[in-house]
Amino acid sequence: MTHSLNEIEAQSRKAARGTGLSWGMAEEAAKATRWLESHQLPGVRLLAEVLTRNDGVAHADIAPQTLDAPWTARSGVLCPLASGAALNDCADRLATGHHIEMEDVTSPLLIVPFAAWAALHICSPVRVQWRDIRIETDGYRIWVNDPKAQVGLASKVALTCSRVSEMNENASLPELRGRVCPTGWDILGTFAHRTYAPDTPESRRLGAGAGVSDND
Amino acid sequence: MKPRPEPSFTSSMRAPSQVMRLARLGSFHQCRLSFMRILTRRMAREAWSFTRPIFDIDAKGVGHAVYCAHTPDRTYSLVAFAHDLPAESRSDRVIAQAWDSTFALFDGVPTKEDIARLRRNVPLQEAGRVTETELSVSRANRSVRLWEHVIARLADGRQPDLHEILKVGYLMRTTAVYGSGKLGAADREAIAARPECSAPFQIEVLSVFLTRAYVRDLVQHMAKTRGGARAVPLAPEIARRMGIGNSTGLGMAPFLLNHPTLINNWIAARETAIARVRSVPLASADEVETFRDLLARTILSVDLWRSDHPIQIEKLTDLRVDLQRLSHHVEAADLNTEAPWNRLFMWAETELCLEAQECLASLMLEPYGDLVDSLADEMSDLNAAAFRIDGTMSVAQLREILHRNYGWAMDIDWAERENCARAWYVSEEKLEPRLGERFDEHIADYEQPLAPGRDAAALNDALKSWHVDAPIAAFLLAHPEHRHSVRRAQIVDHAPYAEIRDNTISADLLPIDMLRCKLAFFGATQFDPRSDRWVRICLFGNAPYPENLQESNCDDWPYPVLGETLQ
Repeated sequence: MTHSLNEIEAQSRKAARGTGLSWGMAEEAAKATRWLESHQLPGVRLLAEVLTRNDGVAHADIAPQTLDAPWTARSGVLCPLASGAALNDCADRLATGHHIEMEDVTSPLLIVPFAAWAALHICSPVRVQWRDIRIETDGYRIWVNDPKAQVGLASKVALTCSRVSEMNENASLPELRGRVCPTGWDILGTFAHRTYAPDTPESRRLGAGAGVSDND
Repeated sequence: MKPRPEPSFTSSMRAPSQVMRLARLGSFHQCRLSFMRILTRRMAREAWSFTRPIFDIDAKGVGHAVYCAHTPDRTYSLVAFAHDLPAESRSDRVIAQAWDSTFALFDGVPTKEDIARLRRNVPLQEAGRVTETELSVSRANRSVRLWEHVIARLADGRQPDLHEILKVGYLMRTTAVYGSGKLGAADREAIAARPECSAPFQIEVLSVFLTRAYVRDLVQHMAKTRGGARAVPLAPEIARRMGIGNSTGLGMAPFLLNHPTLINNWIAARETAIARVRSVPLASADEVETFRDLLARTILSVDLWRSDHPIQIEKLTDLRVDLQRLSHHVEAADLNTEAPWNRLFMWAETELCLEAQECLASLMLEPYGDLVDSLADEMSDLNAAAFRIDGTMSVAQLREILHRNYGWAMDIDWAERENCARAWYVSEEKLEPRLGERFDEHIADYEQPLAPGRDAAALNDALKSWHVDAPIAAFLLAHPEHRHSVRRAQIVDHAPYAEIRDNTISADLLPIDMLRCKLAFFGATQFDPRSDRWVRICLFGNAPYPENLQESNCDDWPYPVLGETLQ
């Protein structure tokens, strides 16, 4: 079974919010997950891992402490969502040839969608690299060089993002469906459920839209 | 076509502070840019053909049917499942679990296997699952009263009573039409590049258009089954009066807030159209005649508009009075000299209620398809990158944007209970948006981000302690809770109609205003609020059926024809 990208984004947004992300962060986490899944990369599984690890953790502990290089977190471990959002906010730095470096960021693949949006903004492809892995994107297409098949790992790495002049010509286009990891999907569902207010007789009476009968 | 004379003056668009108020949005009327009319114009222009390859429904009204719309390039098929629903299961609520009919719009022509798969899923609606070959999923219930009346009459060889038809307006009403990837269907991106899908919600309104033909056929089939040789088909002029009803509750209200760029594009298209017509230097006799004719037909349409809701009754009373005043004014007014529509509109802005002003705004566009219709191509949201935050913007720049666009929100005391009495949340039971009482229910922890005014005011307060030159990226590292408001502010800076400039959580909020705005863009008429948060409407009432699309001047179908009424 496949999922529509809108389903993936909606589930991810609610799940991110359910673990305490701000609405604005949750929106971007969801779009990042959608972006990865559209490239047949494990966005849902990685989002589930990150949300599980950082469930209820304060943003200030896992976000870059400052925007001066290299980026580090107060807790010692950077969240890829907080770091990715900051990366995209600072995309103009890439345009001027600066690198953005992060230390000890987990699930680094989740940084790539944010780098992709940065690439769209500066109208130039960007490269994200860590360990043996090199990924290039112009915002739309992606090229992944992953000799040891480690791109989906959650472990923490040092990562660099920089502008490149040309994309690898073997870059692939996004697809219109996602084949999500079922376990990750269920975890997101559990987190998403936290955003629903428990029903009470009062809320049923006060809050609902329509009447009950349609026999007229 | 003769080139138009250059305008000697150009009317500017109305300011967002004037347009984006709930009371005005809640008074919008359908117009040439409504999504149903965009679709019917295209279907007529491109000479779409229609077929019904399957109509396999038994004497109890159970079975399935397939209705195909053939565009110049491809085919879309409505797969309809007819059910025998016990009365106790019939519910208007989006959360119901059984319906009289259920539908999917299939991309192409479905095979037997596709239909078998859809039969296992579509009748379950939310509890089922569809695939990327389906573009929408929907369901409809009968208007029990009218359904029985029409079948009984037709079975007996007589036509139904037109008074009864006009009182209700439809034989079936939908309670949800899901598109854009819901329940596993194809995402909008999959079809967005097709010309017939370039305007918003074309797939959803095509589904309703085909549903209307199915409903007519089904009621005739049931009458024939009951009456045998005595039964007669529906007279075409009566069938034409019947649209498809729709019940819309709170689920639709957050849409306007959750899609700021899209809403901007809808409103901006209509406001551009209004400004263009106001800038017309001279109106031809034909243009004035078209306007006068449609004004008279609007008065008739409003006479037929029924509602039992006190707010709408009052609005309708005012609208009827003001349309008469408008009619008298137009009889005497000079529409043959310079900038006639601008003068008329300026008169209306001081003399008429909001309902009548917006009705006039829509009517003025009617003679000017050449100025208006191409704006339909600008109503979708193609700017997927708009959600990116510009972190290089300075605190001072952001504060200026906030003051320019959210000054109204900064004038509200958000600590006052009546100003934040409500909270939007999603209920655990049915996963639908609801509006609750913040101080009476335990819902604040579950609040959805649907109070942009309050949140912008809070953002503005938080920015006060930051240096004016600091980049927003640094502010957001420390204050991720304001990220969604910064995004909205930056969107509104480029898309001025993106934000409703009213309090969406106040004690006196009327969610039906938000529903009305969206539904008017769909092209709905006969708005009939059933409470402050639920409205019934009619879609495609008086519209041509598929086989009538090539008849001349089918574009003005929302306006009932004079002299045909209640005879």
